[in-house]
Amino acid sequence: MTTPTNKKVAPKRNTSTTANPFSAWWNQQASAIKFSMERLWFNPASTWITLAAIAIALSLPTSLHLLLKNMQTLTADKREVPTITLFLKQSVSEQQAKDRAELLSELPEIDNVRVVTREEALADFRKITGFAQTLETLDANPLPHVLILTPRLSLLGGEDMDVEDLSKKLKAYSEVDDLQIDVEWVQRLRGILRIAERIVLVVSILLGMTVLLVVGNTIRLDIENRKEEIRVTQLIGATNAYIRRPFIYNGIWLGLFGGVLSLVIVHVALLFLVEPVTQLAKLYGSTFTLSGIDVLMTLQILLASSVLGVIGSWLAVGRYLWQSDDAIK
Amino acid sequence: MIEFKQVSKKYPTGQLALYNINLTLEAGEMVFITGHSGAGKSTLLKLVAMLERPTKGEVLIGGRSLSKLGRSQIPNYRRRIGFIFQDPHLLYDRTVFDNIALPLRIAGMGQSETRRRVQAALDKVGLTGRENTFPLMLSAGEKQRVGIARAMVNKPTIILADEPTGNLDPELAQDIMFTFAQFNELGATVMIASHDHALVERMKKRTIVLQKVD
Ligand SMILES: Nc1ncnc2c1ncn2[C@@H]1O[C@H](COP(=O)(O)OP(=O)(O)O)[C@@H](O)[C@H]1O
Ligand SMILES: [Mg+2]
Repeated sequence: MTTPTNKKVAPKRNTSTTANPFSAWWNQQASAIKFSMERLWFNPASTWITLAAIAIALSLPTSLHLLLKNMQTLTADKREVPTITLFLKQSVSEQQAKDRAELLSELPEIDNVRVVTREEALADFRKITGFAQTLETLDANPLPHVLILTPRLSLLGGEDMDVEDLSKKLKAYSEVDDLQIDVEWVQRLRGILRIAERIVLVVSILLGMTVLLVVGNTIRLDIENRKEEIRVTQLIGATNAYIRRPFIYNGIWLGLFGGVLSLVIVHVALLFLVEPVTQLAKLYGSTFTLSGIDVLMTLQILLASSVLGVIGSWLAVGRYLWQSDDAIK
Repeated sequence: MIEFKQVSKKYPTGQLALYNINLTLEAGEMVFITGHSGAGKSTLLKLVAMLERPTKGEVLIGGRSLSKLGRSQIPNYRRRIGFIFQDPHLLYDRTVFDNIALPLRIAGMGQSETRRRVQAALDKVGLTGRENTFPLMLSAGEKQRVGIARAMVNKPTIILADEPTGNLDPELAQDIMFTFAQFNELGATVMIASHDHALVERMKKRTIVLQKVD
């Protein structure tokens, strides 16, 4: 090597270190993704503890939501549909009964109307052992024509239809002798379910905040461990975005994998329940089956948990950068 | 290129590190800053790198005052500077390669170009073949050279070195100085703080002597 002696004018130096902004952006994302994955991988104990905490916090609202959804399908089950039974007067003829049925089915509150003629009713009764002989002793059919109405379910819970009003209206028809409403239990159940929905919402919000805090705290500890590294990268020109990036990805992974783990937990719990529930349903003569987590719900859970991860880590890094801002400059 | 106009720096502790400095460096110039310990050499370099701000006066780079740079512009400005610290500030959980590649990764450079430039930088500081070593396994001198390679790898327009040869044996110190001189020949403006008078004299460059403020 020789000592340079001549003074020269500065030539144009190639100081731009990247070809184009997009590839620079992509390279930065890729290295942040790789780096954040490695961090998770190399701290297995803390990663798993965090993931388990997130998964448990997420699986509780998910299970509650499933429970609620199943109760709702139970009340909407075609076989369990609530009915209003209209007993018509003895004087009403079969044709009059059918006409009335047709008119009723036009009403907006009514989904469908089934006519059970007195002959059909008698035939049904005959099938029931014990009654057959009793019925033989009667010379005339004592049973009236009956209309079985199915109210529209969507209207049941709402304010636009009051069961009282409907029953008054139905009773006012001249053909109607008496009516029996089998709809109250559904209304009560729906009322309870509406409260349960609120509870699930509150629990979801609380546990969502728990996830936020768990991710935030994990990232905060990670930042604490890497203070020196952050300082050095700031000294050589790292932007806040560059410093933030791997932590944000870290938060995404924690949220996403925590969500996956919570889905596994809920699926296992469901498997555990399927058999006894089907048994119980059979006892009640119902074809009800437990509905699980569908694709849409899976995606919603994963999206929600990832978003919580991003917010948690964003808050943690943001707080640190905000605090260190004055220290470094 | 670099201009100090009546610059004073008083630390929050009340310590006056620099008083009324006037100094002009041409683009592509190489200067040595000497002076006793505590004379303010490190402070002078930190003002150029915006690691500290002057309490009076202003520092101009390429005719623009640094005080006019917004917070968001500072990272971009620092990328044009290669700063060699007295303590090299390496990241101990990463290999020599990853340490040197850091400025390139910050700039978002691709894999192959990064590898090429890091190899070139390793070659310059005589550490070829050590890329997969971790800093803990290096001697003080080798660590210092990794720090130099990291500062050079981005081809900065301004190189600031704070006692870069403090930990090196004389022969290596000389070599490193010539490396700086080479970068200077390629057009970089170089400021080196050093109290190694013999070495500074041998380099035959403009020398600025700082006096401790009393
Ligand atoms: N961060 C700081 N806070 C307070 N005083 C400082 C700080 N850095 C340096 N000083 C003081 O400023 C003076 C100049 O320091 P410095 O620039 O490090 O000198 P040199 O590098 O020439 O030894 C010294 O008296 C030192 O104690
Ligand atoms: Mg110093």
